Amino acid sequence: MSEHEFHPLVKQLLDGDITLAALPPELRAEGEEALRLLAAVDRSVVSVPAVTWRVMAGIERRRRRVRPWLLAPALALAAALILWILPEAHEVSLAGTFNRWDAHVTPLVRSGPTGVWTATLTLPAGQHQYAFVVDGARWVPDPGAPAVDDGFGRRNSVLTL
Amino acid sequence: MIATLLVIPLTLLGMQQQDSIAVRLAGRVSPDIATLVERLGIAASARGLPVDPLIQKAIEGSAKGIPSERVATAVRWVEMQLDTAAAALREGGVATDTLVIAAGEFAISAGLSNHDITALARIGASVAALTVGLRVAGTLAAMGVPSAENIGLISEKLRSGQPAGDVLSVPGRVQAEISRGVTPAQAAAGLERAAAAQAKHGPPPGRGNPPPHPTPPPHP
Repeated sequence: MSEHEFHPLVKQLLDGDITLAALPPELRAEGEEALRLLAAVDRSVVSVPAVTWRVMAGIERRRRRVRPWLLAPALALAAALILWILPEAHEVSLAGTFNRWDAHVTPLVRSGPTGVWTATLTLPAGQHQYAFVVDGARWVPDPGAPAVDDGFGRRNSVLTL
Repeated sequence: MIATLLVIPLTLLGMQQQDSIAVRLAGRVSPDIATLVERLGIAASARGLPVDPLIQKAIEGSAKGIPSERVATAVRWVEMQLDTAAAALREGGVATDTLVIAAGEFAISAGLSNHDITALARIGASVAALTVGLRVAGTLAAMGVPSAENIGLISEKLRSGQPAGDVLSVPGRVQAEISRGVTPAQAAAGLERAAAAQAKHGPPPGRGNPPPHPTPPPHP
């Protein structure tokens, strides 16, 4: 799985939008592998980084084809699958440099009863800082991403695409 | 007379900058923070510094519910780091460019020193490549890669003129190595050796550009 990015249909499967049976036969194995990884994540919070970075590595390979991103950042877009485990949360969103730290515009979607929250974003290639906002009040860095001091005594996660 | 002619456009430019900052901050920060950021932003812009990091920090602090006085302190801190980054880049022979200064500010906030910034600037890479290098170096610092290995790896990448995509892939590759059980320092050092070997001998089999197709013989 680390050798390629998830197929868009597999991402829909991870988001809970479709079932494994709805995948074309040639994508079933990839879908099963993605679900297996998701299940592994569900059992152990510390496995989030590995999955997140695998997904990001796949995205990165696709993004490499877009080289002049600094010259035309608006044209160089990349997708990012954000994934987090928090069973007790009622509402989780993403806030960061990509949405002017607005905690209301990028909600994560809960996938089933397991507490896996996901969002698939299309962002300009480059670097973004972000944090999860839990139940509209608690700002939490992504445990699966590097983080920097935010200047307010907390941490911001860093995503490089 | 000449002084007056110069002052009028500069004043107009400052007013335009102030309006632009005010628009971006509208409804997102308290009036006192907006006033502070407008004032700092105009001064920063006059020194060739980017204004966006100041605006972002003010909005971030307000969104997080941080008290105004702490937001003001954080914005001033960002301004100071921008000055530090700009000076370090000038020391390394890089002319002022707002994107690269903002990247240097990020690298400093992530834990690199002004000497590290200067060291990367002295490599002589293009400003665009240096901007990417500084962003990635900051990310590596956030991942726990020590300064020596960090600067060694990014320097090697910049020297070899690798495309931005390859440099941007470095954090993911370091993380993959860390997942296999090595330390961040060992991961970065290993990638530096690999990059140096690749620069010397070319990419490993199957990784480079494919050989060109032979030209078909002309039709008789």
